[in-house]
Amino acid sequence: MTAVDAPALPEARARRARHGRQGLGALGWTGVAMLAVVVLGAVFAPALARHDPDVTSGLPFASPGGSHPLGTDDLGRDLFAQLLFGARVSLFIGVAAAVIAVTVGVTVALIAGYYRGAVETVLMRTVDLMLAFPFIVLVVVFAAFFGRGLFTTIVVIGGVIWARPARVLRAQVIKVREFDHVLAAASMGASGARVISRHVLPRIAPLVAVQFVRAANVAVLIEASLAFLGLGDPGRESWGTTLYFAQARNAFLTDSWAWWVLPPGLGLTMAILGFAFLGYAIEEWADPRLERARVRRRATRRPSPKRPPNPARRQGGDMATAADRTEPLALEVRGLSVHYASADGPVRAVQDVSLSVARTQVVGLVGESGSGKTTLVMGLLGLLRPPGRLRSGTVHLNGRDLGFPRRSEIAAARGRDIALVPQSAMNALNPAYTVLAQVAEAAALTMDGRAATAKARDLLSSVGITADRHRAFPHELSGGMRQRAVIAMALVNDPVVLVADEPVTGLDVVTQARILRLLLEVRERYRIGMLLISHDLPLVARVADELVVMYAGRVVESGPTALITAEPAHPYTRLLLDAFPTLRGPRRALVAIGGEPPDLAHLSRGCSFEPRCPVAVAECPQRLPDLYDQGDGRRAACLLRELRERS
Amino acid sequence: MTEPVAAPTIVELRDVTKRFRRRARDQGRNVVVAVDEVSLSVPAGQVVAIVGESGAGKTTVGHLMLGLHRPDLGSVRFEGCDLAALGRGGLRQARRRMHLVLQDPYQSLHPGMRVEAVVGEPLAIAGTPRAMRRDRVWAALEEVGLTPAGRYAPRFPHQLSGGQRQRVAIARAFACEPRLVIADEPTSMLDASLCAGILELLLGIRTRLGTAFVYITHDLAVARHVSDRLVVMRGGRIVEDGVTDAVLAAPQHAYTRLLLAASEGDLDRVERLEASG
Amino acid sequence: MARHAARTVAQYALVLFAAITVNFLLPRLAPGDAVDYLLPPEQVGTISADQRAQLLGQFGLDKPATTQFVDYLAGIATGDLLVSVRYGRPVREVLAERVGWTALLVGGSVVLSTVIGAWLGFRSAWSRGTVRDTGTLSGVMVLDSIPPFFLGIVLLVVFSVNLDWFPAFGALPTVDASGLALVTEVLQRLTLPLVTLTASSVGPMYLVARSALVGELQEDYVLMAEAKGLRPSRVRHHAQRNALLPVSTVSLIGLGTLVGGATVVETVFSYPGLGRLIYESVLARDYPVLQGAFLLLIVGVILANLVNDLLYPLLDPRVRRAPRARS
Repeated sequence: MTAVDAPALPEARARRARHGRQGLGALGWTGVAMLAVVVLGAVFAPALARHDPDVTSGLPFASPGGSHPLGTDDLGRDLFAQLLFGARVSLFIGVAAAVIAVTVGVTVALIAGYYRGAVETVLMRTVDLMLAFPFIVLVVVFAAFFGRGLFTTIVVIGGVIWARPARVLRAQVIKVREFDHVLAAASMGASGARVISRHVLPRIAPLVAVQFVRAANVAVLIEASLAFLGLGDPGRESWGTTLYFAQARNAFLTDSWAWWVLPPGLGLTMAILGFAFLGYAIEEWADPRLERARVRRRATRRPSPKRPPNPARRQGGDMATAADRTEPLALEVRGLSVHYASADGPVRAVQDVSLSVARTQVVGLVGESGSGKTTLVMGLLGLLRPPGRLRSGTVHLNGRDLGFPRRSEIAAARGRDIALVPQSAMNALNPAYTVLAQVAEAAALTMDGRAATAKARDLLSSVGITADRHRAFPHELSGGMRQRAVIAMALVNDPVVLVADEPVTGLDVVTQARILRLLLEVRERYRIGMLLISHDLPLVARVADELVVMYAGRVVESGPTALITAEPAHPYTRLLLDAFPTLRGPRRALVAIGGEPPDLAHLSRGCSFEPRCPVAVAECPQRLPDLYDQGDGRRAACLLRELRERS
Repeated sequence: MTEPVAAPTIVELRDVTKRFRRRARDQGRNVVVAVDEVSLSVPAGQVVAIVGESGAGKTTVGHLMLGLHRPDLGSVRFEGCDLAALGRGGLRQARRRMHLVLQDPYQSLHPGMRVEAVVGEPLAIAGTPRAMRRDRVWAALEEVGLTPAGRYAPRFPHQLSGGQRQRVAIARAFACEPRLVIADEPTSMLDASLCAGILELLLGIRTRLGTAFVYITHDLAVARHVSDRLVVMRGGRIVEDGVTDAVLAAPQHAYTRLLLAASEGDLDRVERLEASG
Repeated sequence: MARHAARTVAQYALVLFAAITVNFLLPRLAPGDAVDYLLPPEQVGTISADQRAQLLGQFGLDKPATTQFVDYLAGIATGDLLVSVRYGRPVREVLAERVGWTALLVGGSVVLSTVIGAWLGFRSAWSRGTVRDTGTLSGVMVLDSIPPFFLGIVLLVVFSVNLDWFPAFGALPTVDASGLALVTEVLQRLTLPLVTLTASSVGPMYLVARSALVGELQEDYVLMAEAKGLRPSRVRHHAQRNALLPVSTVSLIGLGTLVGGATVVETVFSYPGLGRLIYESVLARDYPVLQGAFLLLIVGVILANLVNDLLYPLLDPRVRRAPRARS
């Protein structure tokens, strides 16, 4: 992870952090409701049932009616009472066994996961052994050996199903153990017990809850199966026992079998299902990874036919430089805006951004967290996920209008005319396929199989990956090599513009230099325009011809790099330049930019930078400054410039 | 910065080697030598920056200083005592006078603890009485610029921004006035605009308390700004160790020269240096 | 690779040994005389002390425990698993008769539930958050929560007893049949138990597949695949390829649990498989058979785990220790 905003919904993440996670959801509450019904029925059984379940109170096989809402069994006992009292036994055994299972499981998980070593090995092998075996069989056998009683049943079931919670929770303990705050606590000299109880246990608490609910789910089922097989406690009838009697006493030969069989079965289903829904809901709530917010938009794209790369483009050699106006701009963006719908109102992540990239030009897009630069890239490439939406803008790619924002032809252009080297590109490769296969797959968009593989090989070699590594899997290559492979993948269909989102962040300094060099070479060799996005202003300034500085979703300054770095027009740019420590020159005190990054949900009417600006004037928060053209190719969105020029 | 005469050595590594066994899933050989015959001593009040690429062993050195690992060879001494000779309780005692500041402002604080509890934790571990704890926590919060302390103390980490959380982490580090602080990339996940404030904060407190500082980073520019002494590591070994300005002005080792060229963005020089081996 | 395989096999051998030992100890831990386990319950109270001693000697139960253990191990090695109390035949024979039927039932169930569960699960993951996804999720969870024996009973009553579509019990036709007729008859009898067992095991497969794919979809390489300009179906393929890993693991390891479910299902349908045998033996206190079946199950489950461990590297290149890689 880097200091930059995540590919989607950076604000949502912060908002979630502020307000806590979403509730249980429909499924969760349905589960709670079902459990409530069952539990209430069990608790109020004596009040609700009109007869004693063990006593004959009517005619055998009586139909429902009168004081027997469900009729009677073959001995004339009230089925409704059996249902209610059976609930007590089933639930009690299920919950009690779950308590045992989870208590043992958590203890084992904590000890094994925290202390590791030999203790862990022994414990985990035992867990493996227990998990490997079908637990119903184990329970049946144990029950047979140890007799049939309520207490025995509970202990036997609990003693068998603890293994799964132990395994799952241990994995979690190991993960949590590596968390920084746990490490910090340990390194502060806290005892193991303290670290476990205060730091580890609270972090795994939601998962413990999930495991408890799951264990209850399983325990109820096992108890029912046991009872059904006639191995339950004969003195206390659970729902499973009722079903056992139903089968043993040939209820099926009568017409009223349904009244005997269905209620306990449905009761069981409801209890088990209630636990299942609840467990699922808690898990969703606890694990942000599974959040609903990241739904993939169902794209209604038509698959694009294979087109060979435009032959006219390949004659790059004798054409004039990028300043030649007869050649269309590789990329031209005008007035692009992206909004996110949110509970606080629309979040304006990108507002009215325009930029252009010519062939062989490197444009550096600079911004910090919340500047909107990555959202811009995602919006540009049509990779926005809901609730993000393109509000406005036009995009021309190599002179062709892509039809933004409504009808977007960007999907057809992706991977061909415009290629992306994404953030953390080192993880952009599928670990299951070789590098060659993935680059060839990209090439296969515009040529057939054999030619694609050949082209892929060429490109991999040209970015510095030797032929013997072509068939390597991504995890076998170093970070730098993977980055090169991703660049090769982007180049394979002769794009006119390359968008590189933080291409060297996370790599060590020497590899960074190598990759940057590669990018510049690529620019020369293939005459590509490059949009380089980064939070590292000095780094970008070294390689870019033009800079575009973004803040709070808008462009605040743009122009030739040399001019901007020499004399930045916008206060933010100036402060940003001063905020980076330098290697040469006098050691000066670093200037911090006071205040906090902007809240994109609540932007002011005027300049977004004003709260942190050292030279703001009274008018700044009132009026939004336009990008004021200074005549030398530079533009800055600052009222001060405007006011100065005018006076 | 001139050091006082005979500043006591706070932490010292003597010929320390540390090997790790790779997990089953990793490729390659089974054993990795993370730290290879490293000797390093840090006197009170000095800021030592350890630079190098990932995998160079910098973080392991930091962890060794805290006693989180035991060296396979050599010894690690804190205030003169060999850490390996201390029992569990002794080690815990020693750790109360050291502190760790980590990289990720979102992970280093327990999400369920209020700021007051977070900053007060080391004091609680050391057995400081409640009343005194509160005062020290308040003082620490003010020290790092989270004023008024009363506003920040009852908040939870998720209610603070990244920069504020890192300040809380630093406040925690100084609440018990440790003799040694290890900072492992404390600003690499922050925006540059926030980073500067944090760096200045760390330096200010060093001056006030005379703590020994070990600053681990891959960023040479930050290292230059923050440190008196620069240690360059590569492949588990120290390849250069000297006064920061001197090392940067005239690097002795080829790798240091390469690092410097790359950090300055002089791509041509990098190429030349690489070509010459 | 070979070293990893050897280590895995060794670990499992250890587990197997531990299981066999537990198997040996279990009957000897439960209350009662050893002889009680060897005789049909009716006879236990009626034999004389002399007869008891004779029996003990006959079965070698008067020897010290360690000798018994060695004999026991030797017995396993040679396949001599004692004699069934109930049937009066070698346990080995009894087991052999039943194993095949359970294998058929469980095997078919594993395949069907994996395929159906994975297909539904992947589909759900792709349409995550939509009504279709929530609907499928709820539906599968409902199905999963119905106790298998309950489902079995209901199906049995409705389809066999009332509608008479399927035979009510057994695995083989009562009348001799051969060739295609035999196969059809077997399938007919297999259908309801198979449907029941599959229905109750689709749930976990579905959930695993769904959560695995949801996880993969959030990985960077999926974003890259889209950014590369690949067709949506191709992007899906990338993600599904990796999501299959946990699915295959759960599937193989789930074999063990499935046998447990089969126990109950076989009982309901009077299907002559291993599960039903276990149940009958428990009631009849035929402990030799129980021990033998237990042992067989352990071996089977361990084999399944072993296969999974060895298979995994083939599916996930990250786990391979191919010599090709040069650090």
